[in-house]
Amino acid sequence: MTNKIVLKADSIVKYFYEPVKFEVLKKVSFEVKRGEFVALIGKSGSGKSTLLYVLSTMDTDYTGTLELNNEVLTNRKQNELADFRNRNIGFVFQFHYLLPEFSALDNVMLPALKLKKKSKEEIEEAAYKNLGLLGLQEQALKKANRLSGGQQQRVAIARALINEPAIIMGDEPTGNLDSKNTQIVFDIFRELSKERGQTIIAVTHDDDFAANCDRVIEMRDGVII
Amino acid sequence: MASVNNRISRTYLTSSPGQTIVAILGVVFGISMYVFMTGFMTGVNNTQTELAFSALAHVHIYNDRPADRSNIIQAVYPDAVVNISHPKIIKYTDGIKNSAAITALLKSQPEITSYTTQVNFNVFFKNTGNKINGTISGVDVQNEDKVFNISKYMVKGNWIDLEKRSDGIILGSELASNLSVSIGDNLNILTADGVSKNYKVIGLFETGVAGTDKIKGYININAARQVQAANAAFVTDIQININDYNQTEGLVNKLAPMVPYKVESWQMANEQLVAGSELRDIIAIAVSLTILLVAGFGIYNIMNMTINQKIKEIAILKAMGFSGNDVTQIFLTEAVIIGIVGGVLGMGFGLLISWVVNRVPFKIANLETLPMTYDWQDYVLAFIFGLIITVIAGYLPALKASKIDPVDIIRG
Ligand SMILES: Nc1ncnc2c1ncn2[C@@H]1O[C@H](COP(=O)(O)OP(=O)(O)OP(=O)(O)O)[C@@H](O)[C@H]1O
Ligand SMILES: [Mg+2]
Repeated sequence: MTNKIVLKADSIVKYFYEPVKFEVLKKVSFEVKRGEFVALIGKSGSGKSTLLYVLSTMDTDYTGTLELNNEVLTNRKQNELADFRNRNIGFVFQFHYLLPEFSALDNVMLPALKLKKKSKEEIEEAAYKNLGLLGLQEQALKKANRLSGGQQQRVAIARALINEPAIIMGDEPTGNLDSKNTQIVFDIFRELSKERGQTIIAVTHDDDFAANCDRVIEMRDGVII
Repeated sequence: MASVNNRISRTYLTSSPGQTIVAILGVVFGISMYVFMTGFMTGVNNTQTELAFSALAHVHIYNDRPADRSNIIQAVYPDAVVNISHPKIIKYTDGIKNSAAITALLKSQPEITSYTTQVNFNVFFKNTGNKINGTISGVDVQNEDKVFNISKYMVKGNWIDLEKRSDGIILGSELASNLSVSIGDNLNILTADGVSKNYKVIGLFETGVAGTDKIKGYININAARQVQAANAAFVTDIQININDYNQTEGLVNKLAPMVPYKVESWQMANEQLVAGSELRDIIAIAVSLTILLVAGFGIYNIMNMTINQKIKEIAILKAMGFSGNDVTQIFLTEAVIIGIVGGVLGMGFGLLISWVVNRVPFKIANLETLPMTYDWQDYVLAFIFGLIITVIAGYLPALKASKIDPVDIIRG
């Protein structure tokens, strides 16, 4: 069961056309198993974020095939993909995008309210718990635009976890955090992958962080080396 | 799912109150103007109609000139060459002979609220040197008042006095001043048949319609028959009022085959009145719809602006798994809430404007203040129109928002 493949990328090729035609991802193929904690590293501009957007199903402008949780997601409709993301993927952006007019708590709750698998009370409880894990229980009712950069990033992580997704993807999820909070986030990811079998794929520039993961994938100029 | 979307809409509406209020005010303005304009126009039309009905019944029965039958040969032999010189169409009968049979028929019509019989004829009013051409209405005093509400227009004397005074006459105020007579004075009339008779002025009326006030006098119907040397059943006109003056057609169609005289509705006789009131209605609707449309554009602009500002947040929502439909729903809900709140406030504000305008003094022809109607159907209609326009104005930007590609925005 633990060796089941949860992510399969096959010959992913992606071009950018502006300002000139440019191949960002050059036949990228790899697999990730259930419960694996993977670090994606590489120099700036090597294509890590671009790959992560393809893997997260948000970017559909590529060739090759993408399979997540045994579902082929290439060439699916936008609305189906949105629903799939809601159920199966938690995403932490490189720039912590929260909804500024909502409280930290609301931001965390929204994906779960959308999923509607639990009652509002259960969701609120889980959201408080997640915020607590990340040391944010005090900030729960503050509006997102009143939080510091690092706090916002941690709220974004709490939000990515709320639906207990099979796959959590983070684009430098600890980029804005001090070493203490980076350690907290790392420990949470570690536990989720080990105890709950959730798969983590995190882009990172932090060598210590990468060194402690199950596996490191390194990219250079659009290929995995 | 709906509840999350509603919650997001509500948060957006309350977190930028300035924009929300401007959008709501747009709707309020549109709806209140619509309500006010239609109320005012209907008020004007009703006043116009009411004034017209002081001299006009809803349905009128009279002895018309007979149909032109001078060429009956052609009817029988269509191919014949016919040459008739100087045909004369002669009216053999004057007035309505069998009035009792007709009034009996009228009594059995449920939609008729009142009717009256009249003996009308042209006369010269004479007071020593003054001689004025005019008409006399010999009236059934009580029924005349039921149909035309004439007692309301009396400026001197009592209308009902005419009932007992066979030598009394009630004159239009302007006619009386042109003749230099006042209440209590004597007056001589001369009919087309050369009959001359003296009357005593027992009252003056003023309808505000100059054409009536200048030429008309009322006497008792029996006195009129006497002057015309007619029998006791003779009348020239029967005037009928019904429940709803817009529904004359049914009665006219029903009576026409049973009555051997001309049965005419007020609309047939006064097309200019009908045209005037319809044109005013069209203007009112055009003006108010334009206002609503302009308000709609305002909402469209505000919604567009909001969506451009929130483009990043829409991308995040989509990244988290909200579908295009959810996004449409979020912004459409905003528009509907703006529409409903603006609509309710607009109806209230419109009512207030109407109430104020209704109290502006305007003293012309029987009016004290500017006329106004308060018809709940106009209010409901304005509300529905307003809602439709806000929904359209909100739907177009919402559709645009639903098509946003999240990666493009998030990649920056
Ligand atoms: N929208 C875009 N249009 C054109 N080229 C782009 C676009 N986004 C990124 N690129 C280019 O694609 C390449 C890969 O970019 P990407 O953002 O994936 O790099 P990265 O590995 O995430 O870098 P970093 O570590 O700095 O975040 C870069 O050369 C970048 O200039
Ligand atoms: Mg990047």
